[in-house]
Amino acid sequence: MTTTTMDEEKLFAARLHAARSRPYLATALFALHTVESRRVPTMAVDRHWRCYVSPAFVDRTPVEELAGAWVHEVSHLLRDHHGRSDRFAAKHELTGPAERLRMNIAADLEINDDIFGDGLARPDGVVEPSMLSLSEGKLMEEYLREFRLGPCTDAFAWLDCGSGADGLDREWELGPDGAHGLSDEERDTVRFRVAQGINASPGTVPRAWKRWAEEAFHPPQPWRELLGAAVRSAVSSPGVGEDYTYGRPSRRSTSLPGVVMPSLRRRPPRVFVIVDTSASVSDAELGSAILEIAAIVRTTGGRRDLVSVLSCDAAAHVTQPLCRAEGIPLVGGGGTDLRAGFVKAVRGSHRPDVIVALTDGHTPWPDAKPSCRTVVGLFPRPSASPDENDPDYEPVLPPAWARVVGIG
Amino acid sequence: MPSATKSAFETAPPLDVAADLLALLHDTTTEQRADSQLEALTLAVSADLPVLLWGEPGIGKTAALNQLAGALALPLTTVIASVHEPSDFSGLPVVGDDPATQGVPMAPPDWAVRLVRAGHGLLFLDELSTAPPAVQAALLRVVLERRVGALRLPPGVRIVAAANPRSSAADGWELSPPLANRFVHLQWTYDHEVVVRGLGGTWPKAALPRLDPHRLPDAVAFARRAVCGLLTARPRLVHQLPSSEARRGGAWPSPRSWDMALRLIAFATAAGTSRGVLSMLVRGTVGDGPGLELLASLDRMDLPDPEALLADPASAVLPERGDLRQTVLDGVVQAVRKRPELSRWNAAWALLVLALETGAPDLVVVPAATLAALRRDDWQVPAAIEQLAGAVSVSQRADRVGAGARP
Repeated sequence: MTTTTMDEEKLFAARLHAARSRPYLATALFALHTVESRRVPTMAVDRHWRCYVSPAFVDRTPVEELAGAWVHEVSHLLRDHHGRSDRFAAKHELTGPAERLRMNIAADLEINDDIFGDGLARPDGVVEPSMLSLSEGKLMEEYLREFRLGPCTDAFAWLDCGSGADGLDREWELGPDGAHGLSDEERDTVRFRVAQGINASPGTVPRAWKRWAEEAFHPPQPWRELLGAAVRSAVSSPGVGEDYTYGRPSRRSTSLPGVVMPSLRRRPPRVFVIVDTSASVSDAELGSAILEIAAIVRTTGGRRDLVSVLSCDAAAHVTQPLCRAEGIPLVGGGGTDLRAGFVKAVRGSHRPDVIVALTDGHTPWPDAKPSCRTVVGLFPRPSASPDENDPDYEPVLPPAWARVVGIG
Repeated sequence: MPSATKSAFETAPPLDVAADLLALLHDTTTEQRADSQLEALTLAVSADLPVLLWGEPGIGKTAALNQLAGALALPLTTVIASVHEPSDFSGLPVVGDDPATQGVPMAPPDWAVRLVRAGHGLLFLDELSTAPPAVQAALLRVVLERRVGALRLPPGVRIVAAANPRSSAADGWELSPPLANRFVHLQWTYDHEVVVRGLGGTWPKAALPRLDPHRLPDAVAFARRAVCGLLTARPRLVHQLPSSEARRGGAWPSPRSWDMALRLIAFATAAGTSRGVLSMLVRGTVGDGPGLELLASLDRMDLPDPEALLADPASAVLPERGDLRQTVLDGVVQAVRKRPELSRWNAAWALLVLALETGAPDLVVVPAATLAALRRDDWQVPAAIEQLAGAVSVSQRADRVGAGARP
């Protein structure tokens, strides 16, 4: 701890105030190790969770704004901006300090739109989405695609939140070998404890932090991959369209005279798609979900005619041209509730191997497990919050025997 | 010289020159470099747990296995799962003279016979994810029961499997939860710098962990204390089937995987490996969430015991990291609250003063307020409190801001 000219009392009073106004961030705030530095314009963090503080900045800034700066800096670290910057830079082959400044600005935009207020004052001169004519509430990666350095960002050229924000090591930082840095694993446990704290008492936490806590250790996977994996595994698992048969001898029979060995026969899997389109699902999404399923069936040896699509009337206009183009027969309308669809699927002359239901989940489900594997693609319903008129209302969850993939 | 070279060039068979060029290309050097992936793999293999490497095709899983086999002095047997039939793993029926009395033995393939004869070796089951499901089912018996046909693989044989992640696997094979629970899942990625340096001629040589024979009993005791301590406090963590689609096919906690985690902690402790490597292993065994909780509780196990601090505050050493320091101070105040005695109260004040002298003052504010509230009427305010003035003014300043913000 350096004690020469910096008003430490003020700095730490600000941290205490920040921890009191955002109790869920206290662990992370206290885990930061402060380093006095005259090279930073305000405050900056490195990827090893050190916080560099300019004494002049502490002097000229009111405690309330200083507390805002503490939360701002710790947000860079919690949201892994340095790692995300590195990944973004590698993916798009970006090099040079100018690009890193752009990442610093984008990271600041992601943070600044939701951390201030409620006890934390916005420090002077912080960058906000509206200053660059951008909309609020996006992620750093999204902002990075939306602006270039230019006259409108000139005002922020001084910004420097350190390598913790944009991944570019500075010469004035203590580096990986310096004292009091946190190891990867220590950073993960601190982030985990903060996320746990937020999940334990989500009532008072802003929405952006809740989303962060949910995704910090379980990043959402693209639904297309998940749906694809679920359908593929249902279609290609043993017992589906594949069995041992004595109808044709095994290729090994010649070497084993006297033994009749079965051979493995595969018949293409039959997939039945039930589409329930009462949800506000875009045509494109619905279409791509069906296309995806058709493509999977094809790669597993299926033929187009083995995919059947049963849909409600409302969706017929969406799915019909698509299915015609793809050569998928669209089986009748009707079926206002999914149970009817299931009954129809199982009763048909060709029993399907897999049923895929695309629905918003607001439907009664069959009481018993159907005789084939079931995958449910669940579209999000906009009114996720409890209904004020009917507080006891609970959506019917898909049954446990189905594999459920959230779509969108 | 030019003429000699020329004649050699003309007379030598063309493939010899090609061989020379290949030899030059193979001629690379190695450098010491810490590689936590390889360290984790080595530890899990020494702990005799089946490891599943998840990685995109072509990123050097096989090269890593070669290095591991060299380091453990085990011959490497690679079996490409996708080119085999189920009966290659479950055994081929061989008809003898009188099947009715002698039965039909299931003959194992040659690689299994050779492995059993050698008594030790590293069996690498590559490309699990592109094998048809029936082959995978047969292979899993090899991994889990160590049986190939009628043969049982000797204990000296260690097994590692590799699979492509779901997103890149052509057939989208995935593990069912019971099978996923039996593996240590390691994500295999490449390090950009290592690849560029390696192609330039210098490949890394990892320093592999070695078990210290003197630390074995301590390591076992430590591992048992760590796992039991966490599971006593968090019974819900003992068994949690993966619920969401995104977590399928990965690691999840169950008594079996906690037993594996315990084993891995003991091995990591005996080998003195870093927390980073242990973190990869534990998270790959019981899953991210429970794994991180275990690591956090290991952090807390390293913290000084509040009773020991209260018994001898003069020689106390507090952790440097602010959040851990606050946990310790909270623990001290909590201990005084449980058994309030004047001497313990005074010792706690001495510890707070020590904390103020050696670290940030804001950490002391909350414990100091709580400790002050514990005062009994007949207890004298200790002189040490004078030294806490710094913390008090920090607190007052923060209070003023707090009051100003909410008029």
